[in-house]
Amino acid sequence: MASILISSSEEFSGKSSICMGLGKIFQASGLKVGYMKPVGNLLIDVHGSLTDEDSEGIRKLLGIDDPAKYITPIHLTDSLIDDALKGVEKDLDERLTEAYSIISKDKDIVFIEGTGGIGGGSMYGLSDPEITSKLGTKILLVTRFDSISAVDRILCDIRIIGNNDMLTGLILNEVPISMMDRVSELVVPFLEKKGIKVFGIIPEDDTLRSVFISEIVEDLRAEVLVSPDKLDQLVEHYLVGAMEVGSAIKYFRRQPNSAVITGGDRADIQMAAIDSRVKCLILTGNMRPSGAVLASAEEAEIPVILVRGDTMNTIERMEHLIGHANIKQQVKLDRVIELIKNHLDIPSIAENIGVKLKS
Amino acid sequence: MLEKMFNPDSVAVIGASRTKGKVGRAVLENLMQNPKLKIIPINPNVDEILGLPCYPNIMDVPEESKADLAVIVVPAKMVPNAINECGRAGVGNVIVISAGFKEAGIEGARLERECISVCEKYGINLIGPNCLGIIDTASGLNASFAANMAYEGNIAMMSQSGAICTVTLDWAERIGVGFSKFISLGNKAVLAENDFLQLFENDPSTAVIVAYLEGVKNGSEFIKIAQRVSRIKPIIIVKSGRTSVGSRAVSSHTGTLAGSDAAYNAAFKQGGVIRADSLEEMLDYSRAFSVCPLPMGRNIAIITNAGGLGILTADACYNAGLSIASFEETTVARLREKLPAAANFYDPVDVLGDAGADLYEHALDVVLEDLNVNGVIVLVSPQAMTDVPGIAEKVAEKIKQSKKPILCNFAGGSRIAAGEEVLNRYGIPNYSSSERAVASMNALCNYHTIKNREQELPDMLSHNIGSARLFIDNASLEKRRTHGLESMDILKAYDIPVVDSRIAKTLPEAINAADDMGYPVVMKILSPDISHKTDVGGIRLNLKHADDVERSYNSMMSDVRHYMPDAVITGVQLQKMISGGKEVIIGMDRDPQFGPLLMFGLGGTYVEFLKDVSFAVAPISTAEAKHMVSSIKTYPLIAGVRGEVASDIDSIIQTLLKVSQLVTDFPEMLEFEINPLMVMPEGQGCVAMDIRFTLKS
Repeated sequence: MASILISSSEEFSGKSSICMGLGKIFQASGLKVGYMKPVGNLLIDVHGSLTDEDSEGIRKLLGIDDPAKYITPIHLTDSLIDDALKGVEKDLDERLTEAYSIISKDKDIVFIEGTGGIGGGSMYGLSDPEITSKLGTKILLVTRFDSISAVDRILCDIRIIGNNDMLTGLILNEVPISMMDRVSELVVPFLEKKGIKVFGIIPEDDTLRSVFISEIVEDLRAEVLVSPDKLDQLVEHYLVGAMEVGSAIKYFRRQPNSAVITGGDRADIQMAAIDSRVKCLILTGNMRPSGAVLASAEEAEIPVILVRGDTMNTIERMEHLIGHANIKQQVKLDRVIELIKNHLDIPSIAENIGVKLKS
Repeated sequence: MLEKMFNPDSVAVIGASRTKGKVGRAVLENLMQNPKLKIIPINPNVDEILGLPCYPNIMDVPEESKADLAVIVVPAKMVPNAINECGRAGVGNVIVISAGFKEAGIEGARLERECISVCEKYGINLIGPNCLGIIDTASGLNASFAANMAYEGNIAMMSQSGAICTVTLDWAERIGVGFSKFISLGNKAVLAENDFLQLFENDPSTAVIVAYLEGVKNGSEFIKIAQRVSRIKPIIIVKSGRTSVGSRAVSSHTGTLAGSDAAYNAAFKQGGVIRADSLEEMLDYSRAFSVCPLPMGRNIAIITNAGGLGILTADACYNAGLSIASFEETTVARLREKLPAAANFYDPVDVLGDAGADLYEHALDVVLEDLNVNGVIVLVSPQAMTDVPGIAEKVAEKIKQSKKPILCNFAGGSRIAAGEEVLNRYGIPNYSSSERAVASMNALCNYHTIKNREQELPDMLSHNIGSARLFIDNASLEKRRTHGLESMDILKAYDIPVVDSRIAKTLPEAINAADDMGYPVVMKILSPDISHKTDVGGIRLNLKHADDVERSYNSMMSDVRHYMPDAVITGVQLQKMISGGKEVIIGMDRDPQFGPLLMFGLGGTYVEFLKDVSFAVAPISTAEAKHMVSSIKTYPLIAGVRGEVASDIDSIIQTLLKVSQLVTDFPEMLEFEINPLMVMPEGQGCVAMDIRFTLKS
């Protein structure tokens, strides 16, 4: 049985997507795949028991039967933190190793997902490098390459890991298209010269950054006023319609794959958005628009959703939603697998982890 | 095509009712005012209404009694079926008065779409839905639920608001103004303003066209039709939703995007439409056009019995761009013959407070004969000894006979009412203030220019569209929407001179490029995400050697990354530094109603603040391009002030025409801007220094 811990220096770097994508690919090649996220930080209630949102999602996507309590044996609750600070012994290591031994049974490979950033969990002895050494596995680092300073972060992460043998290699994720050449021509050779194996560079992807209108509806607890059958479309950006209508038209036309947030009483902005064929209209303040505007939205097949919150509030929610790939939907799932297949050296990853792909 | 809509032999009322107060009854009673009209009530529940035999369905009406026009007043959800039955019964003209369509919401919009598709299937002309109906005074048709029939007259009116129809009818009844046709447009599902402009164009009973509009349905067609019609008859339009709050109300009310007021102004100007700012102005103008001949020039004589009023009117004339006439010697001499010595014999002519009808008559006769006078404004104030009705009678007679326009301002309240009554009896407007009379005189003068303007077709230039098409197609394939400096080559396809430039991805490339081109150079950041380069430190001017380029490159990258950390930077562009020219802007925004709206203005830092720009809807003619350039306030700065050399204005005009062609050729271009276009001194041309455009996704 082989295993690997997927770690990153920051949250939202793509760890879950890599676990899910590699898991699917390894399953397809005939391997029995296990998964765990030892420390759950996104706690949700599933059928009366607490578990982690990421691990529950991946468990379902990979079709894993193992009980949730072993997939995520430790929950990052307030009391866990308080106890750690007070020095109360919680037998976390035993829980970890017990869960790992159950999960790894009859598996060819187990993906272990880190929690938050690489050093997170140090206060209770469960940072990613600590878990790695406790379970006797290795780290695969995923870094979101938002700017050149990502190189600094990678080198820092390696210092945190300390032992070079503990690192299998690196995946550079969400690299802006404009930086792809620079990254492959300068950054990758630089890192490899330092003895860091780079398994591939995955470009930034509009589909993964975007969010389904249905997710917006769910997250904002919105009421759908028009075109409920068009919620399966992806929104790449959100725009705020608070300017005068002439500027709004220009603004919307430049980014038509957007959701426009505006007040229910701003019929001019609403019509500018409809005329620019944006993807969705989010009306704030629980103010219903006029029937004539709704009729135009319906003719243009643009969903109009109504939220109770004010515009600021809605912007904050949208800020959180867009850019944080949530891979529950099949379209995104397929896209993740496609990107991994196209941009990562999978045989090399398998070889470095120590598994043999059967087909 | 609409002959039988307005002059039918028989009319069916679908949803006719016996109940007083119901629309179905009001329409029937209005139609019955014309005894020659055959009226067919349709109602499945009764056998007769108001003595007329009733049919259960339009399809039951015998072929020989077939209706030319059907007026539908049944609830909205029954309307599509009713129109369908009209189609099957061979009725080609339908007015839908019923409300509850797009204005009411989604279900209504669905019904409206159904109505449209039924009309398309049978080729039915439809007015409405959600309208008051129509009136044709020449044929005696009142197919509306208006409270009163209009008087006969030569003004044709259409209105997108039913309430404004009733307001106008009520106003007109009180003062005796007549109309040829009266059309409530409603939701304009099928027939709209363009159809009726063409109807009025050939309508012998119509001399003046007026309209209240909240939007136009097909902007580019509108301009073409208006251009043609305005050469024959004046078109006066009030367009509401001019301000941001107004346009919001239009959007909310009609579910349409109001479009920019600048676009309406440009389109109206190009179409020869006289724009009124209010209903009052629209009615004032329409009455002047209804009774007056057109002035042959802008020289106005004022006749007054009060000096103050005369001065105010002279000021108003000057502000409106009208001239105060300079009388011929004989005019002054003849005025002296009868007017008292204390009178003023020059314009404004003051006949003095005690003047009677005879002095007004004399003054009018004399100034009307003066070749320097193109129109007259008569002012009357009620002094103790003023014979108001007597003066009104004389003035009215003169107005009826005159070949020059005469407008009146009987100023005051109850003491001038008798004069107003006389004028009303003659169908002559009295303007309650001299400013209103002047505004109407100005409209008459402007229309004289519109009517006699030379017919100029837009200039279509020959050019190599192929390379531009290839460029745009590639951009669409790559899903690139916003374009900047890297796309300047598109201008070359239209022979627009472009500054000599090179693109560099790295500093060494930038230095090489600058060395090759020769110093001094300008360096600009290349990024699809940055539209205002100056704001983020993305432009460096006058770099004289390689060291300058290196220092500027490094500081520019640092600045841009600081101001816009998320912007994608693809490199820099090096341009040959050009000096000695003046910067102007040529732009285009695609207006939702009228399409490509060209913009021209002077460049530089203060432009956005001054808003000194001119607009025109593309494609434009050479005359329109010239007008765009010369109509900005800062035009003298390009034409040359205080001994300065004039800029090459002809090259600006040529570039405007080329941009007009480019944005007409490519409807996928949503916005476009050459900023700046560097215009060199006369004879030395111009060169585009930077561009930006957005393509439809």
